[in-house]
Amino acid sequence: MSAIEVRDVWKKYRRPHVKTTSVKEAALAILRGQQGYDEFWALQGVSFEVQQGEAIGLIGPNGSGKSTMLGMLARVLKPTRGTMSVRGRVCPLLELGTGFHPELSGRENVFLNSSLLGLTRRETHQRYDSIVDFAELGEFMDSPVKTYSTGMVIRLGFSVAVHMDPDVLLIDEVLGVGDEHFQHKSFGRLLEFKEEGRTMFVVSHNLQSVGILCERAIWLDRGRMVKDEGSDEVITKYKAAVEAWERSLAEAKTRDAPAS
Amino acid sequence: MSELLEVLRYREILWNLVRRNLKVRYKNSVLGFAWSLLNPLMQIGVWYFVFNILFGRDEPNFMAFLVTGFLPWLFFSQTIMDSTAAVTQEMPLIKKAYFPRTILPVSVLLSNLIHLGFAFIVLLALFALWGVDLNIHYLWVIPSTILVALFAYGICAMLAAWSVFYADVKFIVSNLLGLWFFLTPVLYPLKLVLNKTFESPDNWVEFFLQSHLPLLKKLYVIDPLTIAVEGYRSALLHGGENFIRVTAAANATPADQAAALALQTSLRAQYPTLPYIIGAAVIAVATAVIGQIIFRRKADAFAEQG
Repeated sequence: MSAIEVRDVWKKYRRPHVKTTSVKEAALAILRGQQGYDEFWALQGVSFEVQQGEAIGLIGPNGSGKSTMLGMLARVLKPTRGTMSVRGRVCPLLELGTGFHPELSGRENVFLNSSLLGLTRRETHQRYDSIVDFAELGEFMDSPVKTYSTGMVIRLGFSVAVHMDPDVLLIDEVLGVGDEHFQHKSFGRLLEFKEEGRTMFVVSHNLQSVGILCERAIWLDRGRMVKDEGSDEVITKYKAAVEAWERSLAEAKTRDAPAS
Repeated sequence: MSELLEVLRYREILWNLVRRNLKVRYKNSVLGFAWSLLNPLMQIGVWYFVFNILFGRDEPNFMAFLVTGFLPWLFFSQTIMDSTAAVTQEMPLIKKAYFPRTILPVSVLLSNLIHLGFAFIVLLALFALWGVDLNIHYLWVIPSTILVALFAYGICAMLAAWSVFYADVKFIVSNLLGLWFFLTPVLYPLKLVLNKTFESPDNWVEFFLQSHLPLLKKLYVIDPLTIAVEGYRSALLHGGENFIRVTAAANATPADQAAALALQTSLRAQYPTLPYIIGAAVIAVATAVIGQIIFRRKADAFAEQG
Protein backbone atom coordinates (compact mmCIF):
# COMPACT_ATOMS: atom_id res chain seq x y z
CA MET A 1 0.00 0.00 0.00
CA SER A 2 1.31 3.42 -0.78
CA ALA A 3 1.84 5.78 2.12
CA ILE A 4 2.16 8.89 -0.01
CA GLU A 5 0.50 9.59 -3.32
CA VAL A 6 1.24 12.75 -5.26
CA ARG A 7 -0.57 13.23 -8.56
CA ASP A 8 0.29 15.97 -11.00
CA VAL A 9 0.84 18.60 -8.34
CA TRP A 10 1.38 22.24 -9.27
CA LYS A 11 2.05 25.12 -6.93
CA LYS A 12 1.85 28.75 -7.87
CA TYR A 13 3.33 31.52 -5.78
CA ARG A 14 2.94 35.22 -6.05
CA ARG A 15 6.17 37.09 -5.79
CA PRO A 16 5.34 40.70 -4.92
CA HIS A 17 7.46 43.42 -6.50
CA VAL A 18 7.51 45.50 -3.39
CA LYS A 19 5.87 43.80 -0.54
CA THR A 20 2.39 45.23 -0.21
CA THR A 21 1.63 45.52 3.44
CA SER A 22 -0.43 48.66 3.61
CA VAL A 23 -3.83 49.54 2.29
CA LYS A 24 -2.48 52.70 0.72
CA GLU A 25 0.11 50.85 -1.32
CA ALA A 26 -2.47 48.31 -2.39
CA ALA A 27 -4.89 51.06 -3.41
CA LEU A 28 -2.20 52.92 -5.35
CA ALA A 29 -1.13 49.75 -7.12
CA ILE A 30 -4.70 49.11 -8.23
CA LEU A 31 -5.13 52.71 -9.39
CA ARG A 32 -1.98 52.49 -11.45
CA GLY A 33 -3.21 49.24 -12.93
CA GLN A 34 -0.22 47.35 -11.62
CA GLN A 35 -0.61 43.78 -10.60
CA GLY A 36 2.03 44.24 -7.95
CA TYR A 37 3.36 40.71 -8.22
CA ASP A 38 4.81 38.12 -10.58
CA GLU A 39 3.41 34.67 -10.62
CA PHE A 40 5.75 31.75 -10.74
CA TRP A 41 5.28 28.02 -10.51
CA ALA A 42 7.31 26.47 -7.75
CA LEU A 43 6.17 23.00 -8.73
CA GLN A 44 5.05 21.97 -12.18
CA GLY A 45 3.24 18.70 -12.51
CA VAL A 46 5.11 16.46 -10.09
CA SER A 47 3.79 12.92 -9.50
CA PHE A 48 5.15 10.03 -7.47
CA GLU A 49 4.17 7.39 -4.96
CA VAL A 50 5.96 6.28 -1.84
CA GLN A 51 5.31 2.81 -0.46
CA GLN A 52 4.82 2.17 3.20
CA GLY A 53 8.14 1.70 4.96
CA GLU A 54 10.08 3.29 2.13
CA ALA A 55 12.64 6.01 2.72
CA ILE A 56 12.89 8.51 -0.06
CA GLY A 57 15.13 11.52 -0.48
CA LEU A 58 14.32 14.73 -2.28
CA ILE A 59 17.34 16.53 -3.70
CA GLY A 60 17.96 19.43 -6.01
CA PRO A 61 19.38 22.96 -6.06
CA ASN A 62 17.93 25.87 -4.07
CA GLY A 63 14.59 27.00 -5.42
CA SER A 64 13.74 23.66 -6.99
CA GLY A 65 10.57 23.27 -4.92
CA LYS A 66 11.74 20.73 -2.34
CA SER A 67 10.50 22.55 0.74
CA THR A 68 7.28 23.49 -1.02
CA MET A 69 6.65 19.82 -1.69
CA LEU A 70 7.34 18.97 1.94
CA GLY A 71 5.11 21.78 3.17
CA MET A 72 2.27 20.45 1.06
CA LEU A 73 2.76 16.91 2.32
CA ALA A 74 2.55 18.33 5.85
CA ARG A 75 -0.67 20.14 4.83
CA VAL A 76 0.87 23.46 5.76
CA LEU A 77 0.56 24.58 2.13
CA LYS A 78 -2.14 23.75 -0.38
CA PRO A 79 -1.41 22.61 -3.93
CA THR A 80 -2.73 24.99 -6.59
CA ARG A 81 -3.55 22.01 -8.81
CA GLY A 82 -3.40 18.28 -8.45
CA THR A 83 -4.02 15.99 -5.52
CA MET A 84 -1.96 14.43 -2.82
CA SER A 85 -2.71 12.07 0.01
CA VAL A 86 -0.68 10.89 2.96
CA ARG A 87 -1.87 7.90 4.96
CA GLY A 88 -1.37 7.52 8.68
CA ARG A 89 -0.02 9.78 11.37
CA VAL A 90 2.31 12.37 9.90
CA CYS A 91 5.10 13.93 11.86
CA PRO A 92 6.57 17.00 10.19
CA LEU A 93 10.10 17.80 11.26
CA LEU A 94 9.89 21.27 9.76
CA GLU A 95 11.15 24.50 11.25
CA LEU A 96 12.57 22.74 14.28
CA GLY A 97 12.76 24.78 17.41
CA THR A 98 10.23 27.28 16.15
CA GLY A 99 6.84 27.59 17.74
CA PHE A 100 8.36 27.68 21.20
CA HIS A 101 7.13 30.55 23.31
CA PRO A 102 10.14 32.38 24.76
CA GLU A 103 8.41 33.28 28.03
CA LEU A 104 7.26 29.76 28.83
CA SER A 105 9.43 27.09 30.40
CA GLY A 106 10.89 24.23 28.41
CA ARG A 107 8.41 21.93 30.08
CA GLU A 108 5.37 24.02 29.13
CA ASN A 109 6.67 24.30 25.59
CA VAL A 110 7.10 20.55 25.27
CA PHE A 111 3.41 20.11 26.00
CA LEU A 112 2.39 22.85 23.58
CA ASN A 113 4.62 21.56 20.80
CA SER A 114 3.57 17.94 21.28
CA SER A 115 -0.08 18.83 21.00
CA LEU A 116 0.71 20.68 17.80
CA LEU A 117 2.20 17.49 16.41
CA GLY A 118 -0.83 15.50 17.51
CA LEU A 119 -0.09 14.03 20.93
CA THR A 120 -2.61 14.14 23.74
CA ARG A 121 -1.62 15.44 27.14
CA ARG A 122 -1.45 11.98 28.57
CA GLU A 123 0.73 10.66 25.76
CA THR A 124 3.07 13.61 26.30
CA HIS A 125 3.22 12.84 30.03
CA GLN A 126 4.25 9.28 29.25
CA ARG A 127 7.05 10.41 26.95
CA TYR A 128 8.14 13.50 28.85
CA ASP A 129 11.15 11.99 30.64
CA SER A 130 12.38 10.38 27.47
CA ILE A 131 12.02 13.67 25.56
CA VAL A 132 14.07 15.53 28.17
CA ASP A 133 16.69 12.77 28.24
CA PHE A 134 17.09 12.78 24.50
CA ALA A 135 17.50 16.57 24.39
CA GLU A 136 19.91 16.37 27.36
CA LEU A 137 18.25 19.36 28.98
CA GLY A 138 17.34 17.86 32.36
CA GLU A 139 18.14 20.82 34.60
CA PHE A 140 16.86 23.50 32.21
CA MET A 141 13.29 22.34 31.76
CA ASP A 142 11.82 24.77 34.27
CA SER A 143 13.60 27.84 32.87
CA PRO A 144 11.98 29.98 30.19
CA VAL A 145 13.04 29.04 26.67
CA LYS A 146 14.33 32.59 26.06
CA THR A 147 17.28 31.69 28.29
CA TYR A 148 18.24 28.72 26.07
CA SER A 149 20.99 28.78 23.48
CA THR A 150 20.07 28.20 19.83
CA GLY A 151 21.45 24.68 20.02
CA MET A 152 19.37 23.86 23.08
CA VAL A 153 16.19 25.06 21.42
CA ILE A 154 16.84 22.99 18.31
CA ARG A 155 17.70 19.93 20.39
CA LEU A 156 14.44 20.23 22.27
CA GLY A 157 12.49 20.72 19.05
CA PHE A 158 14.08 17.68 17.48
CA SER A 159 13.54 15.58 20.58
CA VAL A 160 9.83 16.43 20.76
CA ALA A 161 9.40 15.62 17.08
CA VAL A 162 11.08 12.22 17.22
CA HIS A 163 8.96 11.18 20.19
CA MET A 164 5.78 11.20 18.21
CA ASP A 165 4.70 7.82 16.99
CA PRO A 166 4.54 8.66 13.31
CA ASP A 167 3.68 6.47 10.34
CA VAL A 168 5.21 9.04 8.03
CA LEU A 169 8.13 11.32 8.86
CA LEU A 170 8.70 14.47 6.86
CA ILE A 171 12.22 15.70 7.38
CA ASP A 172 13.44 19.09 6.15
CA GLU A 173 17.16 19.69 6.38
CA VAL A 174 17.45 18.59 9.99
CA LEU A 175 20.25 16.12 9.46
CA GLY A 176 22.86 18.53 10.72
CA VAL A 177 21.34 20.10 13.83
CA GLY A 178 23.25 20.60 17.04
CA ASP A 179 26.86 19.73 17.79
CA GLU A 180 28.79 16.75 16.49
CA HIS A 181 27.52 14.52 19.29
CA PHE A 182 23.88 15.45 18.82
CA GLN A 183 24.19 15.06 15.06
CA HIS A 184 25.29 11.46 15.52
CA LYS A 185 22.55 10.84 18.01
CA SER A 186 19.78 12.34 15.88
CA PHE A 187 20.99 10.54 12.77
CA GLY A 188 20.99 7.31 14.78
CA ARG A 189 17.39 7.99 15.81
CA LEU A 190 16.38 8.44 12.18
CA LEU A 191 18.06 5.15 11.27
CA GLU A 192 16.04 3.50 14.05
CA PHE A 193 12.85 4.93 12.55
CA LYS A 194 13.87 3.42 9.24
CA GLU A 195 14.46 0.00 10.81
CA GLU A 196 11.06 0.19 12.49
CA GLY A 197 9.58 0.36 9.02
CA ARG A 198 8.26 3.90 9.12
CA THR A 199 7.90 5.84 5.91
CA MET A 200 10.43 8.66 5.58
CA PHE A 201 10.55 11.60 3.26
CA VAL A 202 13.83 13.45 3.51
CA VAL A 203 14.75 16.83 2.05
CA SER A 204 18.44 17.58 2.32
CA HIS A 205 21.50 19.03 0.68
CA ASN A 206 23.58 16.52 2.59
CA LEU A 207 23.83 13.95 -0.18
CA GLN A 208 25.85 11.52 1.87
CA SER A 209 23.15 11.29 4.54
CA VAL A 210 20.46 10.95 1.91
CA GLY A 211 22.44 8.10 0.41
CA ILE A 212 22.63 6.30 3.75
CA LEU A 213 19.04 6.89 4.86
CA CYS A 214 17.19 6.48 1.60
CA GLU A 215 17.04 3.72 -0.95
CA ARG A 216 15.29 5.94 -3.45
CA ALA A 217 15.66 9.60 -4.40
CA ILE A 218 13.84 12.18 -6.44
CA TRP A 219 15.76 14.98 -8.11
CA LEU A 220 13.85 18.19 -8.62
CA ASP A 221 14.96 21.12 -10.72
CA ARG A 222 12.94 24.34 -11.03
CA GLY A 223 9.73 22.61 -10.06
CA ARG A 224 10.04 19.63 -12.37
CA MET A 225 11.08 16.11 -11.65
CA VAL A 226 14.39 15.22 -13.32
CA LYS A 227 14.90 11.67 -12.00
CA ASP A 228 13.16 9.23 -9.70
CA GLU A 229 15.38 6.19 -9.18
CA GLY A 230 17.59 4.42 -6.67
CA SER A 231 19.29 7.00 -4.46
CA ASP A 232 22.86 6.08 -5.45
CA GLU A 233 22.18 6.52 -9.18
CA VAL A 234 20.29 9.76 -8.68
CA ILE A 235 22.96 11.20 -6.40
CA THR A 236 25.74 10.25 -8.82
CA LYS A 237 23.90 11.81 -11.75
CA TYR A 238 23.01 14.91 -9.76
CA LYS A 239 26.63 15.38 -8.70
CA ALA A 240 27.77 14.90 -12.29
CA ALA A 241 25.26 17.48 -13.47
CA VAL A 242 26.38 20.01 -10.85
CA GLU A 243 30.04 19.42 -11.78
CA ALA A 244 29.29 19.78 -15.48
CA TRP A 245 27.46 23.01 -14.79
CA GLU A 246 30.31 24.39 -12.67
CA ARG A 247 32.80 23.41 -15.36
CA SER A 248 30.81 25.23 -18.00
CA LEU A 249 30.73 28.31 -15.79
CA ALA A 250 34.50 28.17 -15.34
CA GLU A 251 35.02 27.69 -19.09
CA ALA A 252 32.80 30.62 -19.90
CA LYS A 253 34.90 32.73 -17.56
CA THR A 254 38.23 31.74 -19.10
CA ARG A 255 36.78 32.16 -22.59
CA ASP A 256 35.57 35.66 -21.78
CA ALA A 257 38.72 36.69 -19.93
CA PRO A 258 41.15 37.14 -22.88
CA ALA A 259 38.55 38.97 -24.89
CA SER A 260 38.22 41.74 -22.33
CA MET B 1 -19.74 23.50 10.30
CA SER B 2 -17.22 20.79 9.42
CA GLU B 3 -14.56 23.25 10.48
CA LEU B 4 -16.09 23.39 13.96
CA LEU B 5 -16.02 19.60 14.22
CA GLU B 6 -12.39 19.66 13.20
CA VAL B 7 -11.62 22.24 15.89
CA LEU B 8 -13.13 19.82 18.39
CA ARG B 9 -10.94 17.01 17.10
CA TYR B 10 -7.89 19.23 17.58
CA ARG B 11 -9.07 20.53 20.96
CA GLU B 12 -5.78 19.51 22.55
CA ILE B 13 -3.99 22.29 20.65
CA LEU B 14 -6.81 24.72 21.37
CA TRP B 15 -6.64 24.02 25.08
CA ASN B 16 -2.87 24.35 25.10
CA LEU B 17 -3.02 27.68 23.28
CA VAL B 18 -5.61 29.01 25.72
CA ARG B 19 -3.46 27.95 28.66
CA ARG B 20 -0.46 29.59 27.06
CA ASN B 21 -2.36 32.82 26.40
CA LEU B 22 -3.48 32.99 30.00
CA LYS B 23 -0.01 32.23 31.33
CA VAL B 24 1.81 34.64 29.06
CA ARG B 25 -0.32 37.74 29.49
CA TYR B 26 0.91 38.51 32.97
CA LYS B 27 4.23 36.69 32.83
CA ASN B 28 7.05 38.60 34.55
CA SER B 29 4.65 40.64 36.66
CA VAL B 30 4.83 40.18 40.39
CA LEU B 31 1.09 40.02 40.90
CA GLY B 32 0.58 37.71 37.94
CA PHE B 33 -2.94 36.63 37.35
CA ALA B 34 -4.31 39.06 39.91
CA TRP B 35 -3.90 41.69 37.19
CA SER B 36 -6.86 40.35 35.28
CA LEU B 37 -8.88 41.43 38.32
CA LEU B 38 -6.91 44.51 39.32
CA ASN B 39 -6.85 46.04 35.84
CA PRO B 40 -10.60 46.66 35.53
CA LEU B 41 -10.76 47.73 39.17
CA MET B 42 -8.06 50.33 38.71
CA GLN B 43 -9.67 51.61 35.53
CA ILE B 44 -12.95 51.99 37.33
CA GLY B 45 -11.16 53.67 40.22
CA VAL B 46 -9.83 56.26 37.77
CA TRP B 47 -13.29 57.00 36.39
CA TYR B 48 -14.73 57.18 39.86
CA PHE B 49 -12.10 59.77 40.73
CA VAL B 50 -12.74 61.76 37.55
CA PHE B 51 -16.53 61.69 37.50
CA ASN B 52 -17.49 61.53 41.14
CA ILE B 53 -14.75 63.55 42.73
CA LEU B 54 -13.47 65.95 40.06
CA PHE B 55 -16.78 66.55 38.28
CA GLY B 56 -18.81 66.01 41.42
CA ARG B 57 -21.36 63.87 39.69
CA ASP B 58 -23.53 62.39 42.34
CA GLU B 59 -25.39 59.44 40.94
CA PRO B 60 -26.51 56.68 43.21
CA ASN B 61 -24.55 53.47 42.84
CA PHE B 62 -22.28 55.05 40.30
CA MET B 63 -19.54 52.50 40.93
CA ALA B 64 -21.92 49.59 40.40
CA PHE B 65 -23.14 51.33 37.27
CA LEU B 66 -19.59 51.60 35.92
CA VAL B 67 -18.49 48.08 36.81
CA THR B 68 -21.48 46.36 35.27
CA GLY B 69 -21.16 48.20 31.98
CA PHE B 70 -17.40 47.91 31.85
CA LEU B 71 -17.20 44.11 32.05
CA PRO B 72 -18.73 43.31 28.65
CA TRP B 73 -16.89 46.25 27.07
CA LEU B 74 -13.56 45.13 28.47
CA PHE B 75 -14.15 41.62 27.14
CA PHE B 76 -15.08 42.95 23.71
CA SER B 77 -12.24 45.44 23.36
CA GLN B 78 -9.61 43.03 24.64
CA THR B 79 -10.73 40.35 22.20
CA ILE B 80 -10.54 42.81 19.32
CA MET B 81 -7.14 44.09 20.45
CA ASP B 82 -5.82 40.52 20.58
CA SER B 83 -7.28 39.64 17.20
CA THR B 84 -4.66 41.43 15.10
CA ALA B 85 -1.95 39.25 16.61
CA ALA B 86 -4.04 36.06 16.60
CA VAL B 87 -2.53 34.83 13.34
CA THR B 88 0.45 37.09 12.74
CA GLN B 89 2.17 36.08 15.98
CA GLU B 90 1.50 32.40 15.43
CA MET B 91 3.31 32.16 12.09
CA PRO B 92 5.89 29.73 13.49
CA LEU B 93 3.12 27.36 14.53
CA ILE B 94 1.33 27.75 11.21
CA LYS B 95 4.44 26.92 9.21
CA LYS B 96 5.29 24.02 11.40
CA ALA B 97 2.28 21.74 11.27
CA TYR B 98 -1.27 21.43 10.12
CA PHE B 99 -4.15 22.26 12.43
CA PRO B 100 -7.48 23.91 11.65
CA ARG B 101 -6.53 27.59 11.59
CA THR B 102 -9.88 28.50 13.13
CA ILE B 103 -8.33 27.38 16.41
CA LEU B 104 -6.40 30.67 16.51
CA PRO B 105 -9.31 33.14 16.77
CA VAL B 106 -11.25 30.64 18.89
CA SER B 107 -8.36 30.50 21.36
CA VAL B 108 -8.35 34.31 21.59
CA LEU B 109 -12.08 34.26 22.28
CA LEU B 110 -11.86 31.55 24.93
CA SER B 111 -8.92 33.17 26.72
CA ASN B 112 -10.85 36.41 26.98
CA LEU B 113 -14.01 34.65 28.13
CA ILE B 114 -11.97 33.14 30.94
CA HIS B 115 -10.65 36.59 31.89
CA LEU B 116 -14.24 37.81 31.85
CA GLY B 117 -15.19 34.96 34.17
CA PHE B 118 -12.53 36.01 36.65
CA ALA B 119 -13.53 39.65 36.46
CA PHE B 120 -17.10 38.55 37.07
CA ILE B 121 -16.06 36.85 40.29
CA VAL B 122 -14.53 40.13 41.45
CA LEU B 123 -17.75 41.89 40.60
CA LEU B 124 -19.77 39.45 42.67
CA ALA B 125 -17.35 39.96 45.56
CA LEU B 126 -17.83 43.73 45.28
CA PHE B 127 -21.58 43.28 45.21
CA ALA B 128 -21.41 41.16 48.33
CA LEU B 129 -19.39 43.95 49.93
CA TRP B 130 -22.06 46.50 48.98
CA GLY B 131 -24.75 44.22 50.34
CA VAL B 132 -26.43 43.42 47.04
CA ASP B 133 -28.17 40.06 47.11
CA LEU B 134 -27.73 37.37 44.53
CA ASN B 135 -30.87 36.79 42.56
CA ILE B 136 -32.16 34.76 39.66
CA HIS B 137 -32.09 37.73 37.26
CA TYR B 138 -28.30 37.53 37.25
CA LEU B 139 -28.70 34.67 34.79
CA TRP B 140 -29.54 37.24 32.11
CA VAL B 141 -25.81 37.84 32.02
CA ILE B 142 -25.46 34.56 30.11
CA PRO B 143 -27.41 35.49 26.96
CA SER B 144 -25.81 38.96 27.06
CA THR B 145 -22.39 37.33 27.14
CA ILE B 146 -23.24 34.98 24.27
CA LEU B 147 -24.41 37.98 22.26
CA VAL B 148 -21.23 39.99 22.75
CA ALA B 149 -19.06 36.87 22.32
CA LEU B 150 -20.55 36.03 18.91
CA PHE B 151 -20.18 39.62 17.79
CA ALA B 152 -16.61 39.79 19.06
CA TYR B 153 -15.72 36.46 17.43
CA GLY B 154 -16.88 37.59 13.99
CA ILE B 155 -14.87 40.80 14.12
CA CYS B 156 -11.89 39.00 15.64
CA ALA B 157 -11.81 36.36 12.87
CA MET B 158 -12.03 39.02 10.15
CA LEU B 159 -9.31 41.21 11.63
CA ALA B 160 -7.09 38.23 12.38
CA ALA B 161 -7.16 37.24 8.69
CA TRP B 162 -6.77 40.76 7.30
CA SER B 163 -3.88 41.70 9.52
CA VAL B 164 -1.82 38.91 7.96
CA PHE B 165 -1.94 40.82 4.68
CA TYR B 166 -2.23 44.44 5.85
CA ALA B 167 -0.32 45.77 8.81
CA ASP B 168 -2.60 48.85 8.80
CA VAL B 169 -5.44 46.92 10.39
CA LYS B 170 -3.75 47.05 13.78
CA PHE B 171 -3.55 50.84 13.83
CA ILE B 172 -7.06 51.40 12.55
CA VAL B 173 -8.45 49.01 15.15
CA SER B 174 -7.06 50.72 18.22
CA ASN B 175 -8.42 54.07 17.09
CA LEU B 176 -11.84 52.75 16.13
CA LEU B 177 -12.11 51.01 19.48
CA GLY B 178 -11.48 54.34 21.18
CA LEU B 179 -14.42 55.83 19.30
CA TRP B 180 -16.61 52.80 19.83
CA PHE B 181 -16.03 53.00 23.56
CA PHE B 182 -17.74 56.36 23.67
CA LEU B 183 -20.49 55.10 21.38
CA THR B 184 -21.35 52.47 23.97
CA PRO B 185 -23.18 53.41 27.16
CA VAL B 186 -20.40 52.42 29.54
CA LEU B 187 -19.57 55.74 31.17
CA TYR B 188 -23.00 57.31 30.78
CA PRO B 189 -26.54 55.98 30.93
CA LEU B 190 -28.34 55.02 27.74
CA LYS B 191 -30.97 57.69 28.31
CA LEU B 192 -28.36 60.39 27.81
CA VAL B 193 -28.14 59.45 24.15
CA LEU B 194 -31.79 58.60 23.69
CA ASN B 195 -32.86 62.01 25.04
CA LYS B 196 -30.28 63.94 23.09
CA THR B 197 -31.39 66.53 20.55
CA PHE B 198 -29.51 69.31 18.84
CA GLU B 199 -32.00 72.15 19.16
CA SER B 200 -29.99 74.73 17.26
CA PRO B 201 -27.26 72.97 15.31
CA ASP B 202 -24.42 75.43 14.72
CA ASN B 203 -22.03 73.36 12.67
CA TRP B 204 -22.37 70.77 9.95
CA VAL B 205 -21.68 67.81 12.25
CA GLU B 206 -24.50 68.77 14.58
CA PHE B 207 -26.69 69.52 11.62
CA PHE B 208 -26.00 66.11 10.16
CA LEU B 209 -26.64 64.40 13.47
CA GLN B 210 -29.86 66.30 14.06
CA SER B 211 -31.23 65.58 10.61
CA HIS B 212 -30.61 61.85 10.91
CA LEU B 213 -31.28 61.58 14.63
CA PRO B 214 -34.04 58.93 14.69
CA LEU B 215 -32.08 56.59 12.43
CA LEU B 216 -28.81 57.15 14.28
CA LYS B 217 -30.47 56.44 17.60
CA LYS B 218 -31.92 53.22 16.24
CA LEU B 219 -28.46 52.17 15.05
CA TYR B 220 -27.04 53.12 18.42
CA VAL B 221 -29.53 50.95 20.27
CA ILE B 222 -29.28 47.97 17.93
CA ASP B 223 -25.49 47.83 18.31
CA PRO B 224 -24.94 44.44 19.97
CA LEU B 225 -22.57 46.13 22.41
CA THR B 226 -25.22 48.56 23.60
CA ILE B 227 -27.60 45.66 24.09
CA ALA B 228 -24.96 43.59 25.89
CA VAL B 229 -24.00 46.46 28.22
CA GLU B 230 -27.65 47.19 28.96
CA GLY B 231 -28.23 43.47 29.37
CA TYR B 232 -25.51 43.27 32.02
CA ARG B 233 -26.91 46.29 33.78
CA SER B 234 -30.49 45.06 33.72
CA ALA B 235 -29.41 41.67 34.94
CA LEU B 236 -27.08 42.79 37.69
CA LEU B 237 -28.48 46.05 38.93
CA HIS B 238 -32.18 45.84 38.53
CA GLY B 239 -33.23 42.29 38.30
CA GLY B 240 -34.39 42.24 34.73
CA GLU B 241 -36.17 45.59 34.98
CA ASN B 242 -35.07 48.16 32.53
CA PHE B 243 -32.18 50.12 33.84
CA ILE B 244 -33.44 53.60 33.18
CA ARG B 245 -36.32 53.46 35.56
CA VAL B 246 -34.49 52.33 38.59
CA THR B 247 -31.45 54.51 38.41
CA ALA B 248 -33.52 57.18 40.02
CA ALA B 249 -35.37 54.75 42.23
CA ALA B 250 -32.28 53.98 44.23
CA ASN B 251 -32.23 57.47 45.69
CA ALA B 252 -35.94 57.52 45.93
CA THR B 253 -37.72 60.83 46.04
CA PRO B 254 -41.22 60.04 44.76
CA ALA B 255 -41.07 62.90 42.26
CA ASP B 256 -37.83 61.56 40.80
CA GLN B 257 -39.32 58.14 40.52
CA ALA B 258 -42.38 59.40 38.77
CA ALA B 259 -40.31 61.42 36.32
CA ALA B 260 -38.04 58.47 35.63
CA LEU B 261 -41.02 56.22 35.12
CA ALA B 262 -42.58 58.61 32.65
CA LEU B 263 -39.32 58.86 30.75
CA GLN B 264 -39.02 55.10 30.76
CA THR B 265 -42.49 54.66 29.35
CA SER B 266 -41.94 57.14 26.58
CA LEU B 267 -38.61 55.56 25.64
CA ARG B 268 -40.19 52.14 25.65
CA ALA B 269 -42.74 53.42 23.18
CA GLN B 270 -39.99 54.82 20.94
CA TYR B 271 -37.59 51.91 21.38
CA PRO B 272 -39.53 48.73 21.99
CA THR B 273 -36.96 46.52 23.65
CA LEU B 274 -37.57 43.12 22.10
CA PRO B 275 -37.17 44.00 18.40
CA TYR B 276 -33.85 45.67 19.20
CA ILE B 277 -32.63 42.67 21.14
CA ILE B 278 -33.58 40.38 18.27
CA GLY B 279 -31.98 42.79 15.80
CA ALA B 280 -28.76 42.83 17.80
CA ALA B 281 -28.79 39.03 18.00
CA VAL B 282 -29.18 38.80 14.23
CA ILE B 283 -26.31 41.24 13.74
CA ALA B 284 -24.11 39.30 16.15
CA VAL B 285 -24.79 35.93 14.50
CA ALA B 286 -24.34 37.38 11.00
CA THR B 287 -21.05 38.98 12.05
CA ALA B 288 -19.80 35.66 13.45
CA VAL B 289 -20.75 33.78 10.28
CA ILE B 290 -19.30 36.38 7.90
CA GLY B 291 -16.14 36.68 9.97
CA GLN B 292 -15.67 32.93 9.91
CA ILE B 293 -16.23 32.75 6.14
CA ILE B 294 -13.69 35.51 5.52
CA PHE B 295 -11.22 33.80 7.80
CA ARG B 296 -11.63 30.43 6.08
CA ARG B 297 -11.13 31.99 2.66
CA LYS B 298 -7.86 33.58 3.66
CA ALA B 299 -6.58 30.76 5.87
CA ASP B 300 -4.97 28.69 3.11
CA ALA B 301 -2.69 31.55 2.19
CA PHE B 302 -1.44 32.26 5.74
CA ALA B 303 1.57 29.95 5.49
CA GLU B 304 2.72 31.65 2.28
CA GLN B 305 3.01 35.07 3.91
CA GLY B 306 6.51 35.74 5.20
